[in-house]
Amino acid sequence: MKRLEPLKKVVAEALGELEGVVALRAKWGGVAPHLFKGQEELEELAIAPKYPLPQTLRLIQRAHPESRLGLVARGCEERGLIEMAKRNQIDLERVKVIGLACTAEEAQACRCAKPYPGLLTDIVVGEKTEPVANELVEGFLSKSGEERLQFWKKEFAKCIKCYGCRNACPQCFCPECTLEDALWVETGRIPPPFPSFHLVRAMHTVGKCVGCCECELSCPAHIPLTTLYTLIRREVGELFGYQTGESLEAKPPLVLPMEM
Amino acid sequence: MEYRNVLTTCVYCGAGCGLYLEVLDGRVVGTLPAKGHPVSEGKLCIKGWNAHAFIHHPDRLTKPLIRRDGRFIEASWDEALDLVAERLAAIREKDGPEAIAALSSAKATNEENYLLQKFTRAVLGTNNIDHCARL
Amino acid sequence: MYKPRIIGYLCTYCSYPGADLAGTARLKYPPNVNIIRVLCSGRVSPELILRTFREGADGVLVAGCHFGDCHFISGNHRTAKRIPILKKILEYAGIEPQRLRLEWISASEGERFTEVVKEFTETIRALPPIKEVLG
Repeated sequence: MKRLEPLKKVVAEALGELEGVVALRAKWGGVAPHLFKGQEELEELAIAPKYPLPQTLRLIQRAHPESRLGLVARGCEERGLIEMAKRNQIDLERVKVIGLACTAEEAQACRCAKPYPGLLTDIVVGEKTEPVANELVEGFLSKSGEERLQFWKKEFAKCIKCYGCRNACPQCFCPECTLEDALWVETGRIPPPFPSFHLVRAMHTVGKCVGCCECELSCPAHIPLTTLYTLIRREVGELFGYQTGESLEAKPPLVLPMEM
Repeated sequence: MEYRNVLTTCVYCGAGCGLYLEVLDGRVVGTLPAKGHPVSEGKLCIKGWNAHAFIHHPDRLTKPLIRRDGRFIEASWDEALDLVAERLAAIREKDGPEAIAALSSAKATNEENYLLQKFTRAVLGTNNIDHCARL
Repeated sequence: MYKPRIIGYLCTYCSYPGADLAGTARLKYPPNVNIIRVLCSGRVSPELILRTFREGADGVLVAGCHFGDCHFISGNHRTAKRIPILKKILEYAGIEPQRLRLEWISASEGERFTEVVKEFTETIRALPPIKEVLG
């Protein structure tokens, strides 16, 4: 727990100038997001396992738009904040980001390419670790078209359409989700017929997915969603030169007309 | 401004997945899976993800209602309970306890369900009791 | 005998008149394509394309105005970005990306329209029927 004590100090100091800090709390034998308001609550501050905190921040900020809040954010959460801010879902002016670097084990578990924050904040608790290569993605690229089809058909056949991937995604905020529209995604069948649900979802992650792995972690069927979304994220980088979550200035590619 | 997560168990099926109810300013607004929970392991099914939906639902009854002349009129608890006791007793007297049945719900607590079955069996004298999960 | 079914989404102001011109000039093109006129190629969403494949289209052709000619100024810009990334997604999912084709066809390019349709029909004919791929 080499990060917990320094983090508690940083959050305690931040609470002096903020109305609350969104972080994880350990209670009742489990860990969940919490809005810390007082120093005495910091006893229960926790670091792991991670949750999609940008969603929590958005929820609180929408209910209290004038509040000044803090957020303990890992690399992926900071990238998520950047994407949400670009879409006017979070007001970054009123957010103080307290960075938290992931350990080597955590980076390995997510096969993360950038397991530390630093774009929205200078405060980073914990040592920055090396990016991790994604062997699942590299292994997938060597498959032929037919093999890829069989692979995804087998994986998506396990889907129970729980919407966990959509609910857990820190960047999914649409009040009317296309995936719930019977016009595009057939209802009444489990698994949802290939490829509707999943490829529509994949298309909607373009420009939004930052590789936090929450979708895969919340899938009861253990479908390797991040393999597909990581490939798409790389493609977005190549096709549009857009690195998701890396810059506040770069505008999301699909939203804008092209430079002519 | 208050936000916290309360650990609880999903009301629906018998698996008993652990989940957190997100409480914002005194209202339950969402659900989060409980990561590290031995049953749910941080995952939920669609019913679990929407386990919070019925709590503040606008369709929920908030006051006792009595049907008079084909319309539901608001009544007091005393009035409503007196009416129920009177009518149930009368039916039991006239047609026997088997003429009465009770239907319960997964959305009620275990304690409420226990009370209802005790009431149905011991007080009304019938075992015609069932539960929405069996339908 | 495998008859490929191709659905063409043609925009009202450029590509549909282009196809119309092919008709009035009595230019011949394969009958495998069914044309659906949309207001702008930018209206064609990824969900629509995926549903078209799901409903049995072996190929989907999306045709819009050339850059700078769009009646809605930048509708074709959105299409120009959406279709390539959707093709890549189809490729990663194991569905042949050649099934989806994007073309810019103006109102005077009747002959070009017929060339595109002929070429595209041959491409699709060489691929298995979509029902075998999607199941």
